[in-house]
Amino acid sequence: MILTVALAVPLLGALALAGSKRWSAMRARWFATGAAALSLLALIVAWFGFDPSGPLFQHVDEVRWVPSLGVAYRVGVDGIALAVATMSALLFVAAIAYPLDARSEPRQDHVQYYAWLLFLQAMSLGVFLALDLLLFYVFFDLTLVGMYFLIGRWGHGEPQVSALKFFLYTFAGSLALLLAIIGLYLSLDPHSFDMRVLIERQPLAGSGLYAGLVFLALMLGLAIKTPLVPLHTWLPQAHVDAPGPASAILAGVLLKMGTYGMIRLPFAMMQDAFARYALAIAIIALVAIVYGALVALGQRNLKRRIAYTSINHMGYTVLGIAVAAAAFSDTDVARRLALTGATVEMVAHGLITGALFLICGSFWQRTGEYDLDRYGGLARQAPLLTGFTVLAAFASLGMPGLAGFVAEFQIFAGTFAVYPWLAVIGVVGILITAALFLDLLRRLFFGSRPLHLVDFPDLNRAEWGVLAVLTLGIVVIGIAPRFLLTLIEASSAVLVGGR
Amino acid sequence: MLWSVALLPLLLAPLVYVYGRRRERAGLTLCAALVVLASLALAGVAVIGDWGANPDAYRWSDSLALTLTLFTAGAVFALTVPLIALPIVVYTGYHDLQLGDDRLHATSGDARLLALLVAFVGAMQLLVLANDLLTLLIAWELVGACSWALIAQRWGENGIAHDAARAFVITRFGDLGLYIAAAATFAGSGGFGYADLATLDGGYLHVAVAGIVLAAAAKSAQMPFSAWLFAAMSGPVSVSALLHAATMVAAGIYLLVRLQPILAGVAWFMPTAIVIGLATALAGGVVGIAQSHAKKLLAASTSAQYGLMWLAVGAGFPGVALLHFVAHAFMKAGLFLSAGLAERQAGSYRLDTMRLGRRLPGVAVITVIFSLALAGMIPLGAAWSKEQIASAANHQATWLALLAALAGGLSALYATRFQLLAYGRPRRDARLPRSGAPAPPGAAIWALRALAGVTLLLSLVWWPEVHETAVALLNVDRPPSHPWLLCVSLALVLLGIVWGIGMTRHGWLAMPRAWQPFAAAWFGLPTLTQGIAMGVIAVAERLAHFDDDVVDAGLRGTAAFGKWLARRNAEGGEFLAEGLPGSLSRLADWGGQWARRAQSGQTHHYYTGIAAGFAIVLIMLVIGVVL
Repeated sequence: MILTVALAVPLLGALALAGSKRWSAMRARWFATGAAALSLLALIVAWFGFDPSGPLFQHVDEVRWVPSLGVAYRVGVDGIALAVATMSALLFVAAIAYPLDARSEPRQDHVQYYAWLLFLQAMSLGVFLALDLLLFYVFFDLTLVGMYFLIGRWGHGEPQVSALKFFLYTFAGSLALLLAIIGLYLSLDPHSFDMRVLIERQPLAGSGLYAGLVFLALMLGLAIKTPLVPLHTWLPQAHVDAPGPASAILAGVLLKMGTYGMIRLPFAMMQDAFARYALAIAIIALVAIVYGALVALGQRNLKRRIAYTSINHMGYTVLGIAVAAAAFSDTDVARRLALTGATVEMVAHGLITGALFLICGSFWQRTGEYDLDRYGGLARQAPLLTGFTVLAAFASLGMPGLAGFVAEFQIFAGTFAVYPWLAVIGVVGILITAALFLDLLRRLFFGSRPLHLVDFPDLNRAEWGVLAVLTLGIVVIGIAPRFLLTLIEASSAVLVGGR
Repeated sequence: MLWSVALLPLLLAPLVYVYGRRRERAGLTLCAALVVLASLALAGVAVIGDWGANPDAYRWSDSLALTLTLFTAGAVFALTVPLIALPIVVYTGYHDLQLGDDRLHATSGDARLLALLVAFVGAMQLLVLANDLLTLLIAWELVGACSWALIAQRWGENGIAHDAARAFVITRFGDLGLYIAAAATFAGSGGFGYADLATLDGGYLHVAVAGIVLAAAAKSAQMPFSAWLFAAMSGPVSVSALLHAATMVAAGIYLLVRLQPILAGVAWFMPTAIVIGLATALAGGVVGIAQSHAKKLLAASTSAQYGLMWLAVGAGFPGVALLHFVAHAFMKAGLFLSAGLAERQAGSYRLDTMRLGRRLPGVAVITVIFSLALAGMIPLGAAWSKEQIASAANHQATWLALLAALAGGLSALYATRFQLLAYGRPRRDARLPRSGAPAPPGAAIWALRALAGVTLLLSLVWWPEVHETAVALLNVDRPPSHPWLLCVSLALVLLGIVWGIGMTRHGWLAMPRAWQPFAAAWFGLPTLTQGIAMGVIAVAERLAHFDDDVVDAGLRGTAAFGKWLARRNAEGGEFLAEGLPGSLSRLADWGGQWARRAQSGQTHHYYTGIAAGFAIVLIMLVIGVVL
């Protein structure tokens, strides 16, 4: 029941906002923040009610919908889904509470902006909470709609073009996913969309070409969403033109649907096929890690640079998943470590990159400029902004004591036990990331300050308040990750060890 | 319990920052010094109370546990680090603070500097108490991050942030080795502890040892990573003092000393450590002789001295390296602090502008003690530990011992050069350096005196009872000493000193002019690393263009193809779709008209038709029969 509450509250909030024309932007923002926070609260309650030694899926709700097709409203979570969903809900609260425009007068259509964000929250949580394949697909596609309008209506630069490119590209991925889902559905007798049944029965184990095609279609659809190199080119453009909070959601929540989908669908339901392709996928992930980091280093645009680091970090996640899927019976512990690391990376990347994109939004609102060469020397003038950016940057480059390290260390350790060479090459990624973030900090905050930044204001209270909450999450996961690791390992042990 | 030693400074550092902003100088300095003192006291209690007996574990999950313990090397470091940091913090408070406009209250930058120094001590304490590779890696990277922030202290000046980033990236390259070592240990044994590391064998052991050697070499500025120490010179002088004497650079040698029994399990480890150490000791000595920047001269000597310690570890005597570390720590901290005072008077770190013997006679006398220690002059403690290193080398081969003694001679030469150029009597014909700089603050002088006092106190180690007690207490394996080696070393030291005097006073045998800049710049090592960095950045920029122009072209191509298809469809396809049903209906229309014409009502038309029909039937029958 609690998960349905988490889904329904933001959806009802979105409807309420959409129906009310006369609310002020401020009131709409507080209302939306409240609705998003209630949803977060419901997930926290679910977290406390989650029994790590219990069954894989807990808090399950099931309502018959189209019994003849085997479709039902089924929601439930394992530790991985709950961790990612809670992080997503937190990030939505942050993105909604973060001012869309810190300086100018609020626009009239902000009420709809908050309505779309709440709608997007409901749909995103739906992806992570659904236990029915068709429901999963519906939520997966509806998130595109929400993000399309957020970029297209409230973006800057060429928002319509970017939104269209984003929508069409990822929608093409969704179609591949739909074909694969139908393939999975048909393989089950009697036909069903119930994920639990699919995970338990492994209907495509060992069946050659058909299984291979379904697997490849699944991975293609999810890889576009993640995104993996070379299917990533929709990402930087969408980010650059999106408003800061929408960018935070795009990187922090929407990208996770790709990797979460990899764990939930191919990893859990087609272990045989995934094991066959594990090395190939690990190599693609490695390319994404190194290529993403290098291309990020080559960017002169603040937001593009951070966007490309997302490709690098999602590469780590995919590497962890691929390693966990490899069929080496004597490396159970290492593969479990890799899967746990991949999940922590999703949570960590959501918080860290979410914070970084919110910061990008603050930069844009102050200057309308992303070009790094136009900045410099802001440390004295904007100490709060500097402090939060330095922390987020160090978290992103994997500094111990912050969330990213907990994730990446586990991924490397797990990978080395299975594919030593990939780990050795992959670890170079964190060196390039270090270089690119230190370079970014230097260009933004250090050295001499250009004249046009004389009246650059520091973060206001709403901004630093939100960033403080995200930073707290990053530090807590970095120092005391036990609460998170226990939850995730409950599931990764079942998923990896249960074969 | 043991956690408190490391966590106390780490947790109190933010408080130092918050409390110290806009306090008066004394309040801020006292606050920071008290935290360091508390860490020292805790470390002392930990050593006496043997807190390491039951290791504390802090579990992250079933596979990840952070454990601390107190080992001999760890105990020595845990006591030395805060002991060195204490005078440095006091010195910082009275020498390196910028202070606000009223010249009384500290700015937030000042508070940040002291808070970071305190955090630096905490991170180093965590590093030396770690009992597994995960905890070690955490501390290892934290130390690196602290040094980045400290080097970037004066971020407003051009190039500073660049240097900080360079130092961080080069040392992080070494950190990658530790990531790999930890992963190899886990892969081979299922755990991250030093105990697990000891159980490794085969390929995993080789990988783990290689990773650890890489990490240690980068941190302790050995060849070919020595260049980052020059970049680190952009920080305040007190930062350099702490970095070189007790924290960042010391971390590398600590790791080798701590893990030497395990590392020695790999056949190539000892020769590698000897080669790296000896090469750095000799090359660093030459750099020190050629350098004319006070801090860079000292930086080169740091690399060289740690090179000697590497040599000792490689020769199989890690305890000897430990002793030399202690002796080196006090004198090197003193030398840096003294260089800072000289810079304040002379206005720059260029040695040819100093010769402050008349201006700062007191400081000059104290610095002589440090310089003699660096030179390895009897009866100072550093001379004894350097002797032990030569004996350790002799245990492997005589020529190694001679090379170690030669490195000692080089250090005597550059130490003399430093002393005479920084604090010698001014040349008679030289203009007196600009006056007007305030006299060095008393607290800074006291910090120097404290360090000099300990350096002098360490001379006691020549006393057999003292060094035998120390050796027994620290459980150090000591190489057999040889009088002839002592004589050779001493002769080389004296030669170095005489040569140094001759070089600075009379311009004897100075290095060839063409060579000097090359040697002073670490034989082009910084240029090389810079070149690699520029290469990577160039590749990154190419890739960024490639990504926009080529990878995205696939997408744009697909979109263009889709549009083309749509247009073709609009033109050709629509024609077809329109035309096909249209022509069918025209055909039917024509057929209908033809059929209507056939119904002419005239019998001969019908007969003709019937006859034709029969003919066709007949032909078909014939064809059927024939075939």
